[in-house]
Amino acid sequence: MSEHKTDELRGHAYDGIEEYDNKLPNWWLFILYGSIVFAVGYWLVFHTFSIADLPRARYDKEMVKANEEQLARMAKQGLTDESLTLMAAIPAQVEEGRQLFATYCVVCHADRGQGLVGPNLTDGLWIHGGRPLDIHKTVTDGVPSKGMAAWGRQLGPTRVQKVVAYVLTLKGTEVPGKAPEGVPEAAPAPPAAAAPPAAAPATAGAAGNG
Amino acid sequence: MQATTPVTKRVVYDDDVVRAFSLATIIWGAVGLLVGVLVATQLSFWQANLGLQWTSYGRLRPLHTNAVIFAFVGNMMFAGIYYSTQRLLKTRLASDLLSWVHFWGWQAVIVGAAITYPLGLTQSKEYAELIWPLDLLVVLVWVAFAVNFFWTLARRNERNLYVAIWFYISTIITIAVLYIVNNLQLPTSLTHSYSIFTGVQDALVQWWYGHNAVAFFLTTPILGIMYYFLPKAAGRPVYSYRLSIVHFWSLIFIYIWAGPHHLLYTALPDWAQTMGMIFSVMLWAPSWGGMLNGLLTLRGAWDKLRTDPVIKFYIVAVTFYGMSTFEGPLLSIKSVSALGHYTDWIIGHVHGGALGWNGFMAFGMLYWLVPRLWSTKLKSVRLAELHFWIATFGILLYVVSMWISGVSQGLFWRALDAEGFLKYPDFIEGLLASRFMYQMRLIGGLAYFAGALLMVGNLWATIRGGRKSTVEIEVQGYAHDGPGFWALMRGAPVLYSLAVIVLSLVLFFSGTLGSAIALAGFGVLVIAGALSIGMEKSRRSWHDLVEGHSLAFTVLVLVAILVGGLVEIVPLVVAKKDVPAQVAHADSVWAAKGEYVFVQMPYSPLELEGRDIYVREGCYVCHSQMVRPFRHETLRYGEYSRAEEFIYDTPFQWGSKRTGPDLHREGGKYANVWHYLHMNDPRSTSPGSNMPPYAHLKSHRVDLGATAGKMRALRKLGVPYQDAQIAGAGATARSQGGLIVADLATQGITIAPDSELVALIAYLQRLGRGPQPTAAAPAAVAAREVAR
Repeated sequence: MSEHKTDELRGHAYDGIEEYDNKLPNWWLFILYGSIVFAVGYWLVFHTFSIADLPRARYDKEMVKANEEQLARMAKQGLTDESLTLMAAIPAQVEEGRQLFATYCVVCHADRGQGLVGPNLTDGLWIHGGRPLDIHKTVTDGVPSKGMAAWGRQLGPTRVQKVVAYVLTLKGTEVPGKAPEGVPEAAPAPPAAAAPPAAAPATAGAAGNG
Repeated sequence: MQATTPVTKRVVYDDDVVRAFSLATIIWGAVGLLVGVLVATQLSFWQANLGLQWTSYGRLRPLHTNAVIFAFVGNMMFAGIYYSTQRLLKTRLASDLLSWVHFWGWQAVIVGAAITYPLGLTQSKEYAELIWPLDLLVVLVWVAFAVNFFWTLARRNERNLYVAIWFYISTIITIAVLYIVNNLQLPTSLTHSYSIFTGVQDALVQWWYGHNAVAFFLTTPILGIMYYFLPKAAGRPVYSYRLSIVHFWSLIFIYIWAGPHHLLYTALPDWAQTMGMIFSVMLWAPSWGGMLNGLLTLRGAWDKLRTDPVIKFYIVAVTFYGMSTFEGPLLSIKSVSALGHYTDWIIGHVHGGALGWNGFMAFGMLYWLVPRLWSTKLKSVRLAELHFWIATFGILLYVVSMWISGVSQGLFWRALDAEGFLKYPDFIEGLLASRFMYQMRLIGGLAYFAGALLMVGNLWATIRGGRKSTVEIEVQGYAHDGPGFWALMRGAPVLYSLAVIVLSLVLFFSGTLGSAIALAGFGVLVIAGALSIGMEKSRRSWHDLVEGHSLAFTVLVLVAILVGGLVEIVPLVVAKKDVPAQVAHADSVWAAKGEYVFVQMPYSPLELEGRDIYVREGCYVCHSQMVRPFRHETLRYGEYSRAEEFIYDTPFQWGSKRTGPDLHREGGKYANVWHYLHMNDPRSTSPGSNMPPYAHLKSHRVDLGATAGKMRALRKLGVPYQDAQIAGAGATARSQGGLIVADLATQGITIAPDSELVALIAYLQRLGRGPQPTAAAPAAVAAREVAR
């Protein structure tokens, strides 16, 4: 940008500061007008004529699609006690389950399942049932009143099954840890424990570690 | 108003107050950056919280942001404004008394902030955290500043106002409006108050303020300073007067609308979100107008770039201004905000502005100004050069590392596996991935701080080697020959703009919103066109005449900045329908009978106290309470947040950054014992967390005697507390606390029912669960009352 003849001083100096009165650069005007046209267009598309979805409507549609996919997947998987037990016998699946356990479960259940805040998983006693499908339900839906998170929403069905497979391998390993709680697997699961204070979950939230 | 006949006068500039503000800039600048380095260290190494409640991150980060904005840039702005205004108007500041009231008052505010923030005394509104007595002091000081400034304008010996003065006027007027409205609050004690706005309205008002604090505290005054100091240092004429006009008016008119871009995808109504976004996009060109006028003014002075550190600082400052004002509109586009919001990208963005633009402008100004104020030469040009390179390295490393960690966080949070579930369900995985970048940021910040220390030493040596200068000039008064106020107000551009604005508003409120926006945009176009056509005429243009009438100019500025705020805020505050306290019953049979469901109920006394502790500890600094309508967010946190859930939230706690996870659906997610252990030592439940420990909450007791007073204040603000609830506040709180204590006791933990930790747990357990019966507490209290 060298001096060009449009540089013309306005002829007054403020404390020695003079001013040219150059034309506004075309590319700058293009951005100015272009952004105004974009703004108007955006409003027309999203608000005046509602051609495109606003965030919440878009979210609702996405979730409908996601739930349909999930339903199809669950129908295909057909979980049974037997299928989970079978999984627990496949080392590769158990290993993946162990890694997931070491990431997400270890905080409450300790490294070998011996329990910290959460119960001991190795002692053969179960608070919410010890059959494979019982454990699967506990992991998936959680027990919000006891602080057990609902992992189904976060890990998804396949990873939950792997974790369950790993937990099944812990059964009866009797690692010294948290004192035994619950009943032996054979006995029927007790009714839901009385709700502790301020814990009547209206929306069973998913958990994220803090 | 002005002298009617030219007379020769002698004028001695008041540079004493400029010297005082310059010294304050140097000192507070170093302090603000030092606190910044400390909080950056805390994010990398939690031990740097020092195990003290007063030095925990949540309390110190507001100290850092306030120190940099109000102490560093504030004092720099006042030094620059007072120095340049006197010279541009050829007159001494109107009142020495007001100048010194302004100076010492402002330093008192800063000291007040430095004392109250570590003590946990805060309103929790970002960059407006000061408690109400200090807010009052700020207003008084600002009034002293305004009176002094406009009085000086009235006594000027220069007919027209130069572009720098336009920017100063817009700063003074707008900050006054923003600060007062955003700080409307009802005190409950000398140090505590509740915002009169709640939930969505509070969020909108806060970010109308927060965004425009950036606009009118960190941008317009600094642009004014650029228009004086940059051509002075370069010895070159300003590139384009008409660009000054067009970008000034479009900047101040459009800026004020852009606040809601801080609230995209939140529970704010969609129309307000879209306004925030599209006005931010339209802000791009007006902002770049300032950058252009700065950079192109340096045409013909590029050789100085090699020799003069002042010019170096200015060029980098203006370049960072251009970059930040491109990044801002980009981040305001909804889909970009979806990725960048709550992440470190925003931290990078604001530091590009604060360190790159504001900091470098301040350094350039000081290196130029200090030798002149003490009639000497800069002690060491080479040291200033070194400062420039260290600071440039520091800011680049800072910004780049924050970009990388910000974008990675955004991608981590949203990543889904093949089945459509979270790939990284544990929030901490994203935090751990950012750790290296946090350390890089710390190094960048340290480099920037080290550079500033070099400047402190260099300027100190310069000042010691000089003596205070006195500048005396002889001026001619001038005859005021322009048209009067009303004649100017009838000028074609005013009538034209007003007509467009009024027409837009009519159309807007009658529902055809699209047309309204079309007209507003059209209006800006037309104003720009009309003004530049006016410029072609050889006789004095309308704008030239307005520049000669400071009152007319100021009134027009006020009108320009009020429009956007009024259009966005008034409908939300007046029309409660946007945030219903109750919604129709979900079951259509019940709904048909007119049954409705309360979607929110007031906080119980203990939850209220817990909430105040959440506010005091600055939890909002790292935790949002706003689940956005994205699949990955609802998978991670639960149902997305709705406006009506926040009707009793004052001040709102939506937050703006997620160093930790969102907490809006925290209630019921973990057992009480989990929260107990987590607060006591965050790493016991969340290995790798960088959260400060809050063990002191265990032994501190809540003053339940004050709870009733707080509830009475909230009732005045519209929270439907009953007399009996207020009367039994203490007992209800103890009873609810007792239930948590009993639950903790089963895990072998002993704690008092009125300890702060119990109150905080009560609040956290209630979050995001809609109306919760406050356990068995009210019933228990009632039973006890009956028993008596």
